[in-house]
Amino acid sequence: MTKRTRRNLAHVPLLAASLLFIAPFLWMLSTSLKHESGIFAKPGEPPQWIPVTERTDDQGRRLITYQARAGVDLGPDESGRHALSIDGKTVVAWPEDFEIQQRIGLHWANYVRAFEMIDFVANLRNTLFICVSVVLASVLSCSLVAYSFSRIPWKGRDAIFIIVLATMMLPYQVTLIPLFAAYSRLGWVGTFKPLILPALFGTPFYIFLIRQFFKGVPEDLSAAARIDGCSEFGIYWRIVMPLSKPVLATTALFVFLFEWGDFLNPLIYLQDERQYTLAIALQQFQSQHENAWGPLMAMSSVITAPIIALFFFTQKTFIQGITLTGLKG
Amino acid sequence: MQRWIRWILAGACGLLVYALIWPRSATSDAEREARKQGRTVIVYWDRHSGHEHEARRALIHEFNTSQDKVYVRALPIGYNSLMEKLLTSIAGSAPPDVCAIDGGIMAQLVAQGCFATLESFMAGCPSLREERFFPHIWKTVAFDGHVWGIPTTTDTYCLLWNKRAFRKAGLDPDRPPRTLAELEEYAARLTIKDESGIRQIGFLPWQPWDLSHMWGLLFGGTWYDESTGLAVCAGDPNLIRMFAWQRSFAIDPTSDTHPPFALDPEKVMSFQQGFGAYMSANNPFYSGKIAMITEGEWQVTFIPKYAPDLDWGVAAIPTPDGASPRAYGPTCIADCIPAGCRHPEAAWAYLEWFNSPRPDGRPSPASDYNYAIHNIPVRTDEARQARFIGDPRFRPFVDVLFERETVSAPVTPVTQFFMDEIERQRERVIYRKTSPEQALREIQNTVNDHLQLGRALAARTTP
Amino acid sequence: MTRQERRHMRNGLLFASPFLFGFGAFFLYPLVASVYYSFCHYNVIQPPMWIGLENFRELFTRDAVFWKSLYNTLYYTVFSVPLGLAVSIGLALLLNQKVRGMAAYRTVFFLPTIVPMVASAVLWLWVLNPESGLLNETLRQFLRVDGPGWLADEHWAKPSLILMSLWATGGAMVIFLAGLADVPASLYEVAAIDGAGRWAKFRNITLPMLTPTILFNLVMGLIGAFQYFTQVYVMTGGKGGPVDSTMFYALYLYRNSFHYLRMGYASAMAWMLFLLILAATVAVLVSSRRWVYYHGD
Repeated sequence: MTKRTRRNLAHVPLLAASLLFIAPFLWMLSTSLKHESGIFAKPGEPPQWIPVTERTDDQGRRLITYQARAGVDLGPDESGRHALSIDGKTVVAWPEDFEIQQRIGLHWANYVRAFEMIDFVANLRNTLFICVSVVLASVLSCSLVAYSFSRIPWKGRDAIFIIVLATMMLPYQVTLIPLFAAYSRLGWVGTFKPLILPALFGTPFYIFLIRQFFKGVPEDLSAAARIDGCSEFGIYWRIVMPLSKPVLATTALFVFLFEWGDFLNPLIYLQDERQYTLAIALQQFQSQHENAWGPLMAMSSVITAPIIALFFFTQKTFIQGITLTGLKG
Repeated sequence: MQRWIRWILAGACGLLVYALIWPRSATSDAEREARKQGRTVIVYWDRHSGHEHEARRALIHEFNTSQDKVYVRALPIGYNSLMEKLLTSIAGSAPPDVCAIDGGIMAQLVAQGCFATLESFMAGCPSLREERFFPHIWKTVAFDGHVWGIPTTTDTYCLLWNKRAFRKAGLDPDRPPRTLAELEEYAARLTIKDESGIRQIGFLPWQPWDLSHMWGLLFGGTWYDESTGLAVCAGDPNLIRMFAWQRSFAIDPTSDTHPPFALDPEKVMSFQQGFGAYMSANNPFYSGKIAMITEGEWQVTFIPKYAPDLDWGVAAIPTPDGASPRAYGPTCIADCIPAGCRHPEAAWAYLEWFNSPRPDGRPSPASDYNYAIHNIPVRTDEARQARFIGDPRFRPFVDVLFERETVSAPVTPVTQFFMDEIERQRERVIYRKTSPEQALREIQNTVNDHLQLGRALAARTTP
Repeated sequence: MTRQERRHMRNGLLFASPFLFGFGAFFLYPLVASVYYSFCHYNVIQPPMWIGLENFRELFTRDAVFWKSLYNTLYYTVFSVPLGLAVSIGLALLLNQKVRGMAAYRTVFFLPTIVPMVASAVLWLWVLNPESGLLNETLRQFLRVDGPGWLADEHWAKPSLILMSLWATGGAMVIFLAGLADVPASLYEVAAIDGAGRWAKFRNITLPMLTPTILFNLVMGLIGAFQYFTQVYVMTGGKGGPVDSTMFYALYLYRNSFHYLRMGYASAMAWMLFLLILAATVAVLVSSRRWVYYHGD
């Protein structure tokens, strides 16, 4: 088997698995274009993939097929049976005995409605503000801290690192209230500060991640630079960081992804609707008494699309990254 | 040189990006204008979002424009995370001035001193008198000699049935079951099975969700004794009967002692798992999977929206034998003023306006709100307005509140836990993990444990 | 300490100072507060009241749901973490090839992490539908067996959730991809010259070089699995049904904290969980000295 054949054969498992993984996304897209009546068309049957809608005649009456003949639905009577007009004659039948003719229809009105229900521009602006700021702050602070735990041999380092990890082991429910009280005393409640400023102090998840990758940079590079009189910060900025683009890009992506979808923290700290983010808007859309699936999926698609694009176009940075060839041999 | 240029370009790009994404002012123009006029600005948290919040917001706008002392800023929160936001704010000394709370949680929060007392405010307000409210609703907000909130909307349950399913089964579509025996008989006739499984179920007492607390009360049982403040459900024969009755809907039909409507429990659970989303055309009642169901008055709006072709009827829930007819008013949604808020008087000004008839004689904004969101008003005279009882499908819901003794959830610090524990034990009874007697004993013991602990601690703090 | 040791100490603390400062300023107080709450009766609205070990006593001796929730979480962790690692490594290897359209494939496999849970839940509820869902239909058609009730069956609810978690390993997969990218191509070239086959290359180059990433995903997987609960809300309604089989530890904790207003009790639960996770993590880290190879050393 040639290498090329093997490579092309790889498509088989990839395509097969892809179907399973892409399924919810496709359903979300297709539902966002469905008319309300077509979303959960037949109970117990698989979700409909292609947005379809009813075919109607010029007078707006449903076109149906009954016993292999085409006709028009004249509407239900009190018993629930429908009067059907077929070849000029009127017949009466239960709904499950005739079929509604369907055509592929893209119901863009869902998107219009979704945009009407939220202030998209303001929400987007707020979301981007938080995401971009937190990404910048996180990449910087987490890499600095990770550097300390991986490239500098100081006493007690590994024990203190356990403390870094330990902060992730306490469920948020019990620290939420004292934390809020602390921010409230600082006067930060009602602003974006509690959502952005803590990122300046590092997040253990990314500190750990970056530390693992920093440890892979050859120690000889640091030693040589130190002998040359380079400052520790110089080593960090000019040697280690440029060699770590994959993990830094991964960190940036994950931070962005998390902040983009986080609704609980903004909901708790923000006090005016004009500050609300896209994630809050989506979550509110799902409130109990208003479950319009079409516009909900439209909004989900709109909110998800930028992240998909972000991932697709920035893949190269963290996947086909730079190989470490610091020292030959 | 090149490196410097790249950094400057990067910096310039960064500044440009930030200029675009910097958030605009958090305060609306209207609010800023109001502050300039010297108005008191208060914050209102709505547990609703979506179109129900829009209805509330329209009325708040009317309030803001009708006077010049107070400005209300409305914030939709949504039911899912309301507790986190409310509790953190109260603990962090940044509570809202008015908050809409759900009844089920209200009972619990009220009993824990979450809100400011309102009776001194009410004393100076002629249109807000206790007598105007449904008694069972008033009990949810008033106890220990204080008033803790003003109810705005309430719900109740009735029996809904699918008229087409009735016709197909040969039953008179306009004659619902009136006794529990009839309910069971109809359920048997409306249950359709074939080799592949269940096609249609006549009735399930735990749809659309667990209603064991309600059923227990309808059977004439007593869950909680207000005079002692303790759960008293263990050994109550009515409650035992109620659990056994629920279990009988999922008893093995091949066993010797099964009622006519019994179904294989595994098949029932599987069938249930296939129910579609509650608020969609796939709702099991809309799509014909369940022929009869106990539901709330919000269905009067939901059904035309999700299932316009459905032919359905509504009537009071049949009363079990030997029990007096009762109605269930599970909860209300009330506006409360959290303790420690900044502007309680301004908050009261809004509440008074919202709950009183308008100066020009039109009905109160509260009843307008109830009409907009199709819930039942909490004041008896408002519930009798033509726009509510004029709707033949809405009317039975209002009627049961007037005609029957209405019971609701107790006001205790552990109400939420109490209700959850009942549901959990009901599930165990259905799955045959425990007997009704054992279940009731466990409910009583755990709930009383918590009640007594709370009381012991309260005794420690009061001098 | 030698002068160089002192210099390293100074630099180490300096670089770590953002975290140390943040920890002291924003985390220490909530940490200490929550320890205090675990010995109190605290309903959030009124000040906490000291009750000593009462919360712990109730947890261990009078709360049957506590033990069930612990069992559920351990069950979930024991299965989902190793399986998740295997799946994400497998996917990463599959997606690390130079095949056309790989960028699109990678995006597809990452989608489950991005798509809002409400859309995923609808799909999975259909897949797991005992009557007409994809899984049981497939079982019926191809294997002629009747599938179980999945989420409706107390014995199959957790496996259903574990299956769903395997489908959402996009995050770990991406991290593995970054780890694979870190392996110098020169190593593979040298091995090819020496005549090594694909399996030998994997075992002697890829796997050892991937161990730092494996350690990361293992530890994070553990920490995440022990605190698993948000998906449960969407899939089973958050009540822990059927019959407490999906009442996970973190879910029970959440209910006690914000539903029942028993913040003291919830804090006690939180600290029990903390100790458990800490023990597991320390065990993994200590063992890591034997199997993790940092190619920078």
